[in-house]
Amino acid sequence: MKRSLTRLVLVALVVGASASTGVTAPATADRPQPVTPRAVAAGDAWSRTQSMERELVAADGTTTAISDPATGKPWQVTVTADHTRNLRGRERVGITWSGAQPSGGRANDPFGPGGMNQEYPVVVLQCRGTGDAVKPETCWTSSFGQRSQVSRSASDATWTEDLHALAADTAKVTSAVGDVPGADKCPNVDRTGLLYTRLVPFVSAKGQVFPACDAKTMPPEAASDAALPANEIAAYTDGDGKGSVQFEVRTDVENESLGCNKQVACSIVVIPIVGISCEAGSTAVEKDLTVVERSCRRTGQFAPGSSNITNVGADQAVSPALWWAQSNWRNRFVIPVTFGDPPDTCDIVDSRAPTGFYGSELLAQAALQWAPAYCLNKKRFKFQHNQMPDQAGFSLMASGGGAAALVSSEYEAEGDPVGYAPVALTGFGIGYIIDRPGNAGEYTNLRLNARLLAKLLTQSYTGSSFGAAHPGMEQNPWAITKDPEFAALNPGLTDEALEAGATLLSLSNSSDVIRQVTAYVASDKAATDFVKGKADPWGMRVNPSYRKIKLPREEWPLLDDFVPKAGTECKAKNPSTYFNDLAAPVSTLRKIAEALLDAWPNVQTRCDTDLSVTPPIYKLGRTERQHYGDRFMLGIVSLGDAQRYGLRTAGLETRAGRYVAPSTETMSAAVKVAQPKGRRGPFEMDMAELRKAGDAYPGTMVVYAAARLQNLAAEDAAKVAQFIRIATTEGQHAGSGNGQLPGGFVPISDAGATRPLFDRAQAVARAIEKQKVPAAPAEAGPATVNPGTAAAAPVGDPAAAAPAAGPAGAPEAVTMPPTQAVSSQWSGRLLPVLLLLGLVFAVVSAVSRVVLFRSRR
Amino acid sequence: MKRRGRALTAALVAMICGISLPLAAFGAVPYAQIEGTGSTWSELIVQQWIADVNANGMKVVYTGGGSTKGRKDFANNSVDFAISEIPYQGTDEQGQADTSQGRQYAYLPIVAGGTAFTYQLKIGNQQVKNLRLSGETLAKIFTNQITNWNDPAIAKDNNGRTFPALPIIPVVRSDGSGTTAQFTTWMDKQHPSIWRAYFGRSGLTSYYPKKSGSRMVSQAGSDQVMNTIKGFSGNGMIGYVEYSYAINAHYPVVKVKNAAGYFVEPTQFNTAVALTQAKINMDTTSPLYLTQNLDGVYTYNDPRSYPISSYSYMLLPTGATDQRMSTAKRQTLADFMYYSLCTGQTKAGAYGYSSLPLNLVQAGFDQIARLKAADPAVELTDRDVKSCNNPTFDGKNLDKNLLAEKAPKPPECDKEGAGPCGYDTGTGKPATDDPAAAPEAAAAGAPPAAVDPVTGQDVPVAEGAVPVAGTSQPVAASPDTLSAERAGDRKPFGWVVVAELLALVLLPGLLAAAFRRRLAARGSLR
Repeated sequence: MKRSLTRLVLVALVVGASASTGVTAPATADRPQPVTPRAVAAGDAWSRTQSMERELVAADGTTTAISDPATGKPWQVTVTADHTRNLRGRERVGITWSGAQPSGGRANDPFGPGGMNQEYPVVVLQCRGTGDAVKPETCWTSSFGQRSQVSRSASDATWTEDLHALAADTAKVTSAVGDVPGADKCPNVDRTGLLYTRLVPFVSAKGQVFPACDAKTMPPEAASDAALPANEIAAYTDGDGKGSVQFEVRTDVENESLGCNKQVACSIVVIPIVGISCEAGSTAVEKDLTVVERSCRRTGQFAPGSSNITNVGADQAVSPALWWAQSNWRNRFVIPVTFGDPPDTCDIVDSRAPTGFYGSELLAQAALQWAPAYCLNKKRFKFQHNQMPDQAGFSLMASGGGAAALVSSEYEAEGDPVGYAPVALTGFGIGYIIDRPGNAGEYTNLRLNARLLAKLLTQSYTGSSFGAAHPGMEQNPWAITKDPEFAALNPGLTDEALEAGATLLSLSNSSDVIRQVTAYVASDKAATDFVKGKADPWGMRVNPSYRKIKLPREEWPLLDDFVPKAGTECKAKNPSTYFNDLAAPVSTLRKIAEALLDAWPNVQTRCDTDLSVTPPIYKLGRTERQHYGDRFMLGIVSLGDAQRYGLRTAGLETRAGRYVAPSTETMSAAVKVAQPKGRRGPFEMDMAELRKAGDAYPGTMVVYAAARLQNLAAEDAAKVAQFIRIATTEGQHAGSGNGQLPGGFVPISDAGATRPLFDRAQAVARAIEKQKVPAAPAEAGPATVNPGTAAAAPVGDPAAAAPAAGPAGAPEAVTMPPTQAVSSQWSGRLLPVLLLLGLVFAVVSAVSRVVLFRSRR
Repeated sequence: MKRRGRALTAALVAMICGISLPLAAFGAVPYAQIEGTGSTWSELIVQQWIADVNANGMKVVYTGGGSTKGRKDFANNSVDFAISEIPYQGTDEQGQADTSQGRQYAYLPIVAGGTAFTYQLKIGNQQVKNLRLSGETLAKIFTNQITNWNDPAIAKDNNGRTFPALPIIPVVRSDGSGTTAQFTTWMDKQHPSIWRAYFGRSGLTSYYPKKSGSRMVSQAGSDQVMNTIKGFSGNGMIGYVEYSYAINAHYPVVKVKNAAGYFVEPTQFNTAVALTQAKINMDTTSPLYLTQNLDGVYTYNDPRSYPISSYSYMLLPTGATDQRMSTAKRQTLADFMYYSLCTGQTKAGAYGYSSLPLNLVQAGFDQIARLKAADPAVELTDRDVKSCNNPTFDGKNLDKNLLAEKAPKPPECDKEGAGPCGYDTGTGKPATDDPAAAPEAAAAGAPPAAVDPVTGQDVPVAEGAVPVAGTSQPVAASPDTLSAERAGDRKPFGWVVVAELLALVLLPGLLAAAFRRRLAARGSLR
């Protein structure tokens, strides 16, 4: 039973960090189909088509319809959701549409209040209820300005002209009349009768009514600029009438006031904005129409496909701010969604002490799902994953500070022999967020090769005119988007040079991920030639600071020291190493994933002068978030994070012209290449072999639980063995429940390609449990084993070893030789000697001339 | 089983208030996600706690951004909590309000740590990893009074060992930072004449003042400070970050001289020792309840004390009508902090922090209790120091910090006028001569045992203090100097200058003479 389930899971693939691509080899018959956990549960997709148009009624009662110019008929809008059932908190639902009116004035940040100044967008919201139970009052917005219109002048009161407004609303709702809370609650509502107000209150799941007339009268979760970004969006429709968003749903855990959960049904509401339909004008003469009547009839000031970079005001009648007005609301698509049971959680007052496993961040997403399966079961120990650099985790384990380490490669044992048990098959991806030019949507098929990665890592793109002044890089493009090699692989992208396009956001600390990335680069001849100094076919050369850097390596250093001379006053006053600011690596993969999610490069080149105070203040640091429509960012991510956050990952070149993206097939193919080391060591994946295989994903990595095979306390040894056994059986069942394997990981099983990993894990678990493996170098594989303490002296240094021999040998200070000058001793004398010699020769020659002259005479 | 009590309470409350709860509420009261911003000083351990409590169903979002941003966001109601190293200052550097703008709050200490000075200094190709500096030298470095590594003051701190002539480049934070605030507070208190002359006034600042024309570099966030110093162009740089950043990056930190004349590293032990002298405002009626006065920390004369140690604080929203709070959010805050103050403290050492002493944990619980005072539906049963899963605590004497008691004495080579010791810094491992911590058992194959001050259990301390000299760099001062400027080369260059001067004076005359002679020769030919 269990066996068959495992097999089923094997078939039902988990990986596919990029939902869209498997192997992107040009037309291969054996192209593996990308599979995502969601595709398994087919049938929960949703699709509808509705027609919609805007009508303007003239004084004589004739109606002008604004409809699809291509057909002359109303817009036929089709909205599709890729999955709608059994959702988890913060899960992303893919919403796509077609046939909508093209948008104009694209906002830099279309989420929350940032999206209001656009024209003809598609508003996507999460609302409580389904079908007709969904009211604007149950729909979530993160600011009051997105729902209420407070104290507006006539020109911004177009909703009062709404042809389709309900009878109760056709009476012009001013602040003097109508259902508005008193001045004590809503002091900012004009009560003189001059200005117009329309409140759209929010009703919480508990029935509490929030009037939404200012920030104070909004629900607790509402905040602009909060740490958790808004999920509602005014999304952009391209020139072909198409658009898409990844909509993040929220449960009552993330948004208690909205209150969606398994019992409380909710919907994703999609409202294509066609504009306010206006009721009969007061006069037939256009210029005599009232201010509000004219406002209502406006059709927008931005051309289709344009952007609104400076965030100037849009025409209210066609803006998303009035999504609740009947003219727009009547065109809504209500997509019912259901939520799954929240996973059982551990009791906070559980008195058992947790046991920490230290290391690899690659395991983070799996560990989050695994941990509750341990603390909820009294027969198991309380597992905790403490993330830190692999190396730090390993040395903590080796020195007895942790029961086990989680690493992805072999480390030199510092004392006792160490066994490596495979517990997860995952890897890294080159995550990206790239918009196609002209607001034509996101790019979904990025392909990269080793030389392009080498160019990014070695900081050989110059970023801007500041970097272009770097000696030895005069011929280099400013950014990867300007590189002909990149453009050939990824046609149709922008050729503008952004600073973010000159860098790959990476890790600042040592990591097995960096080792794998650089091993991939090192396995490619063109890439290594480039690093060694050979120009690429277009004349681009490696940044001289990185020339001949040793590869592979587990930590990527910042080697450049170029400080640009030119620049603004701010840069002159705050000189810094330009290429370090471009690269600005961070300490965790999670930060990279979040930066990609926000399209917020970690480029630290911002330098603004605030002249309003004396002396002026300089604002330095991270550049702004990228604007929607102009996003371009690359970063190294874990496949677990990529799957969790819905990030796309690039296809990497294996054999010439063949680009492989992560999927179950491509990662299983990589495992076939792996060769086990020793009897309890890790598997070695030779990158050259892996690339030769062609269909194997080069970013594939195995995470091992590494523990001592000797001198580990019996209690800890039992815990580690238990962990390995549970992780390789129950922990390999794909799913989103407790103890299951999340997306981004390929299940390890006792059959198929991953069987060697499974068998090795069981063998190592036994050895760890027994604690009887002798410390012989051949056993666990470490090349050099220093017996004794972790901090053993360097071999062959008797002076240093002596104090460590016993307690009597108290440590002594290192003897310090006097620091000597290293300048040459004789150079100081050379010059005077030369001068003297010159003088002597001058005298000799003068004398000899005189003597010769005389003798000739 | 789990949280049944709370579910029951919730059901009761629901009945009393007559609110119609959805059926789901009878299963278990859900936690609600809480969000925060602020300190990067404490971010590394806070992020780990957040990962840990996920297993308990708590969703916490924390995005850092600096203490100043945290305090501002809290005041603007953008976040549920903030983390800051310093309390609200009343007015900030630009004269704008630095208050909570009326939002009610309490300070809750969450973790202790040492502000470390990490640096890149190379002698030839070899990196110095055992640099020692006194407070005065540090203050002078960060106020541009000492600008070269060969300064006699630095040589004196290192017992006469002279470093190469290389300009010092201090790296400071460009954003509003609690780390900067802690460091400048210390300078203001300990070296007022140096600091105030530079700053132009007294007191602390969150924005480090940078003088134009100096070599000082400013960077946003602790990660960027670390990047800048670690980079190839970082030779000669020194900057300040929480110790955890140096440990994470495997990078050395300065051993700072304490009042006892020892140069010590900010390990969890040395920080704990120092903080036994922190004066915590224990006036529960004061708005500054639980905030720190570190004057005693700076001057503590225990040889193990790291002088620039401090606590980090959470701003906890305590108002009964707080706009962002709900029962579920308060419960999440309370349980997140319950975990952090108890179990969460046990891993402080591994991450480069130091766990809180029991009296502060106890006081922390008093602050958490204010959430219940604001909202009686919050469940705090069984969440107290006794159930705290932290063996560091001495149940009999709340004021005792076992970590501080177990702290090993620094080795004699780290004393002023001795040494310097050769062991590497930035490893998180304490150094000592103490024979008790020596590896008696090493020969037997078992790692040396000592009592882990964090867990209170006998654990091997192979990573511990023992072979101070054994781990040493062979001899860190290889007498190679950098080519930047070599004193020995001044003489030859001096001679070149003499030669050039001579040439300048003599050459025109000689040339003119030669030219005239040639002309005269030609004339005579004609």
